[in-house]
Amino acid sequence: MSLNRIILKNFFRNIRNYGLYIFALIFSVSLYFSFVLMSKDESAAEELSSSTLMSTGFLVGSVLLVIIIVTFVMFANSIFLKRRNTELALFQLIGLNRNKVFRILLQENAIIYFGSLVIGILLGFLLSRILLMVLLRVMQVELSVGLTFSMEAVLQTAVLFVVIFVLLLVQNFIFLKRTKLIDMITLNRTNESDSRRLGVGTILMGIIGISMIAVGYYLSTALVDYIEWAIPLMFIVLGLVIIGTYITFKFSIAFILNMIRKSKKGHVNVTDVLSLTSIMFKMKSNAFLLTMISIVSALSVGLMSLSYITYYSTGSMVENSTPHDYIFEDAEGLSFYDDLLAREGIEHETFELPAMEYNVETKGAISADLELMDMDDSILMMMVVSDAHFESMDLGPNETVITGTSGVMQTFIDYSVNEPLTFTSGDYKHSLELADVQGQSILPSMVTFGSPTAIVDDSVYQEFSSNQSPEVEGEGVRTMYALDITGEDSMEIFNMMDQEENPYFDSQIENYTTQMQMFGMTMFVIAFVGFSFLLTSGCILYFKQVGESEDERGSYNVLRKLGFSQREITRGLSIKMTITFGIPLLIGLLHAYFAVNAGWFMFGTEMWTPMLIVMAVYTAFYSLFAILSLVYYKRVVRESLA
Amino acid sequence: MILEAKGIKKSYGNRFNRTEVLKGIDLDIEKGEFVSIMGASGSGKTTLLNVLSSIDRVSSGHIFIEGEDITAMKDKKLANFRKNDLGFIFQQYNLLDTLTVKENILLPLSIRNMKKGEVERQFETVANELGIHELGGKYPNEISGGQQQRTSAARAFVHQPKIIFADEPTGALDSKSASGLLNKLKQMNINSRSTIVMVTHDATAASYSSRVIFLKDGLVYSTLRKGERRQEEFYKEIMSTQSVLGGVGVES
Repeated sequence: MSLNRIILKNFFRNIRNYGLYIFALIFSVSLYFSFVLMSKDESAAEELSSSTLMSTGFLVGSVLLVIIIVTFVMFANSIFLKRRNTELALFQLIGLNRNKVFRILLQENAIIYFGSLVIGILLGFLLSRILLMVLLRVMQVELSVGLTFSMEAVLQTAVLFVVIFVLLLVQNFIFLKRTKLIDMITLNRTNESDSRRLGVGTILMGIIGISMIAVGYYLSTALVDYIEWAIPLMFIVLGLVIIGTYITFKFSIAFILNMIRKSKKGHVNVTDVLSLTSIMFKMKSNAFLLTMISIVSALSVGLMSLSYITYYSTGSMVENSTPHDYIFEDAEGLSFYDDLLAREGIEHETFELPAMEYNVETKGAISADLELMDMDDSILMMMVVSDAHFESMDLGPNETVITGTSGVMQTFIDYSVNEPLTFTSGDYKHSLELADVQGQSILPSMVTFGSPTAIVDDSVYQEFSSNQSPEVEGEGVRTMYALDITGEDSMEIFNMMDQEENPYFDSQIENYTTQMQMFGMTMFVIAFVGFSFLLTSGCILYFKQVGESEDERGSYNVLRKLGFSQREITRGLSIKMTITFGIPLLIGLLHAYFAVNAGWFMFGTEMWTPMLIVMAVYTAFYSLFAILSLVYYKRVVRESLA
Repeated sequence: MILEAKGIKKSYGNRFNRTEVLKGIDLDIEKGEFVSIMGASGSGKTTLLNVLSSIDRVSSGHIFIEGEDITAMKDKKLANFRKNDLGFIFQQYNLLDTLTVKENILLPLSIRNMKKGEVERQFETVANELGIHELGGKYPNEISGGQQQRTSAARAFVHQPKIIFADEPTGALDSKSASGLLNKLKQMNINSRSTIVMVTHDATAASYSSRVIFLKDGLVYSTLRKGERRQEEFYKEIMSTQSVLGGVGVES
């Protein structure tokens, strides 16, 4: 019976306890490997026109991924080191010196690592095929996914994990060097929760923590109004929220739970014993970790929401900047392509829409807040077109409709329907009633430069035209030359038109595809990294719970001896899970909401649907870890009376 | 003389908030002695055992085991020393749940080069003496507390160490298992001439030993020797010393 055999046996008997650790490792390896493999996939890279963007995206993503994986694996390792104190102490007591104990740990880690690396790479290979298909799908590129295996990717993954392995060895070494034998023997008896009384300081800090977050939130909503201070304000908001979150975990939660506890005046039931009292102190000692998890969740949900908002809004954004299939600079361009398409036998419809630049006073129907952007906010530029060009529209001589209000700039402008709108040019003034506001544009940004467009009755248009002040007259009228393909436009038509010697044009389908590729890529990378954040923070909380459940085994034993049923205990634990997992999630989501709310308009046209989808998916995956923990707790409770 | 302690001091805490647990203890233990260390909670008895057994370091003072100063030893030498000369029994048994009783007992032998037959014979001897031979294939969670503690004792004895340190070995046992274990310890003390140093708060447990050292507030308060007396008489004397020491007969 050699020591090595004992160690091996001990290790394999313990393997159930390593379960999730190994799973997480395998998952980290496969995530990283598939990520690297995709970035190395030439057949895919060639196909993507934005390949430089793709490689930078991948680079940033992989750096973030490495940071997450390293933090996570080291955290997991430290938990397992602590859990195995008794064992390590015993080895030292029977006369193994630290170097030998270190070697034992090295052997174990080597087994875990080598195994995880091989399995992870194999899994990652499969995963990368699936992910690549997803990626090409979101980028809307048609390409069959081949099965290329890159040794370089294997090598890169192996190098990373060998580096992590070395880091772990250093961590183990430092742990063994610094922890005295006496501490190791007594360590597993110490409890995380220090059950001191909650003093006035806690109450005060509790209030401060919550107020800091509240002020941070308030400032984030005010960010738009103080745009010239945006950058410093943003840092203030970030600082307030992050420090506030920490203080909240450290003091506020304990303070709130303690108030609930006090209100019961000593009549605590089993649910309270298992949830309130135990969480109260645990949250406090885990404040740093929980803050990390909240911030990381907020970061990933926020980023994923923003990128999804962009992706989600791509269609409508492109429609706004390019409302027709093809837009040309001048009449020659239009007639050239008109002829070309006619020769090719492609049915199409041409448009020529003159638009006049006019000023609008910001009073009555329009209130603008542009002072902060260093702009004159008493007058707003607007394009004016006649309703004669729109069959479906017939306005009265006193009416006007504003379109194209969904651009970034328009966030600062409010429109109120049924109020008067005054158009001016030089000394000339004319008021019309605002009948309707439509987000969609009718003119391309090539003509409007982002201004909204007012549609007026043809007679009014003529009057405006004759009263236009002489200074702007020459520049004042710009015409849109556009063309719509009857039926669906396609890349074939675009490629046929897109020849070097042909005049310049702007194409909706081209804009759409390039933007889809770009945003699809960004979204994919962010989602990938966000998912890893989710996975790791979930695992960290799960490990914590596994540890706590072992520590509390004694309490369950007592409770069951006192006559509480497994179901009652489980109910208490469910509440505990809801709170431990729920509070960081809730805080994270709230942070994410305010972050997205502060700046979403720069990314797209629709906030709620994409954000809620992202949050729902995140919550669903996150909840899985709470359920896993509860299952583990149930097992511990069941076995506690044995 | 197998163990000699000179002017042992041990304090905890930082520079500003220092608690001195051991305030200068001198101690001699002869080979083959069975010594109990008693004292009220907080008197420093467990701390003393920890420093004597090299688990904890002293703040000042020296401990010699067979003339070698263990307070000056480096990790490697200390480990070697533990491997050959020391055995431990804890209140909480400290057995590995993943190993069988036999494997747990043989753990200290697994780190030295011994012939298989020799190892087997050692196991037979200790296991028979402690009456756990037939439990060899079971796992710790399948046997009783008393049996677990006897396994732990067997592990402490199996490599025939010079000194065995026991920290409240009967603390978690009922009186029958406790007296069973103590009888075995005493028997092994006599048979194999191994030295035993045991911390206990239980006068009955202490009465099995040949000498009892009482600690009070980090200092040796008094020493009782059993001599040729019967165990009952020795027990009574321990009880009376304890009542003088703590004010009452039973430790609070």
